[in-house]
Amino acid sequence: MERFVPVEINHMREKELVRVTWDDGHVGEYSREYLRGYCPCAMCQGHGGSVKFIEVEDSELAEISAVGNYAIQFQWKDGHNTGIYTFDYLRALCPCSACKDAEDS
Amino acid sequence: METVTKDVVLEALKKVQDPEIHRDIVSLGMVKNLEVRGGTVAFTVELTTPACPLRERIQEDCKKALGGLNGITGVDISFGAQVRGSKSGAGQTDLLPTVKNVVLVAAGKGGVGKSTVAANLAVALKMHGAATGLLDADIYGPSIPIIMGVKGEPGKVAVDGGFKLQPPLAHGLPVMSIGFFLEPDQAVIWRGPMLGKALHQLMGDVHWGDLDYLVVDMPPGTGDVQITFSQQLKVSGALLVATPQDVALADVVRAKSMFDKVMVPILGIVENMSYFICDGCHKSHEIFSRGGAQRAAERFKIPFLGEIPITSSLREWGDRGVPILVREPDSEISKVFLEVASKLAGQLSVVSEAARRAQSLKIISS
Repeated sequence: MERFVPVEINHMREKELVRVTWDDGHVGEYSREYLRGYCPCAMCQGHGGSVKFIEVEDSELAEISAVGNYAIQFQWKDGHNTGIYTFDYLRALCPCSACKDAEDS
Repeated sequence: METVTKDVVLEALKKVQDPEIHRDIVSLGMVKNLEVRGGTVAFTVELTTPACPLRERIQEDCKKALGGLNGITGVDISFGAQVRGSKSGAGQTDLLPTVKNVVLVAAGKGGVGKSTVAANLAVALKMHGAATGLLDADIYGPSIPIIMGVKGEPGKVAVDGGFKLQPPLAHGLPVMSIGFFLEPDQAVIWRGPMLGKALHQLMGDVHWGDLDYLVVDMPPGTGDVQITFSQQLKVSGALLVATPQDVALADVVRAKSMFDKVMVPILGIVENMSYFICDGCHKSHEIFSRGGAQRAAERFKIPFLGEIPITSSLREWGDRGVPILVREPDSEISKVFLEVASKLAGQLSVVSEAARRAQSLKIISS
């Protein structure tokens, strides 16, 4: 599997988006609800089974930080911060139409 | 007679490649203090590590490259070394800003001799002339205090308005271990949160001073401690230690897969207890078979850094707190350690070039 690394992560507060620019030039824009809903932590997803979207009412984003060489952590306003989004996972989540089409085909 | 200019010399030296980084030594900035006096050319090649295994080759290549130029009557090459940093982990605070390279010595299972390898490689890097420290992160079975022959609680030193732990020196190396804080027969029986706190102290509250290399002796396996290190510390890469049997190699695969997941580069693999050198007849016996680690290295395309034998004196002096390199610097096993250390330093130079070129992650808010 080819692996990509983000070079810039921009929390665009007004648009309520997180824009991720990857080292291959790919750009993806993730809405905050989308990112929050796909939080990979065990508290949100439980143990085992596939990752699913979960509804969260309050998905205001407070802070973004890097975790080691391999992941991103989102700190949400409600205090939730246990989701560690690996670069691979974040890339697989990319909601842009090109990535979604590739996934469906 | 043609006059030789600095530009002509630099142009010629661009044909000389660093054999490990695979880029020319001029654009890597390794050529320093270039002087041309009449027909004599003098310069310093600043190696990326004092443990450079390829010094002679670079010297030969330089002479060859300049040999083709008219008007040169003499070439005087001296060598220096400036260790480059290779830590990655963009957008993160660096807990060890004065340490240029952090190497995790790891294995998928216990009993392969990680601590012996870590201690002797640290001593070997120091003998090559690099400022080196040794951190024992094996909280469940800290054996570095025994192997390095150092004990007692470390002192405190005032740094930037606070206090940090002063690592004691053992055979000239600063050493830190959780073992310094425990009675010899005491066990560490902590759960996750306590463990995390202790590790954070070991990582962040030690006054190492300026180091070229910090060698970290990891606990065996693929658990809490490994994750904490890869998340909280800027690490250059991991060195995997294996014994030759197939069953041990299965654990190498696990360790590799863990470091791949957290994107810590694998610097290489060494085979420990590769063969036994009999102290009576000096014959080599391949007790656990031999060459398994090399096969694994080929299969996973990771650098193979060498085969370390087992000898009675290695064990004996390890138990007495004197690394074999200090006790018998001219023995075959010491030569092997020095060679493996050179190769490891070479791999770190390669990684440093990659780390420098990798764009750093920017996290912004707009």
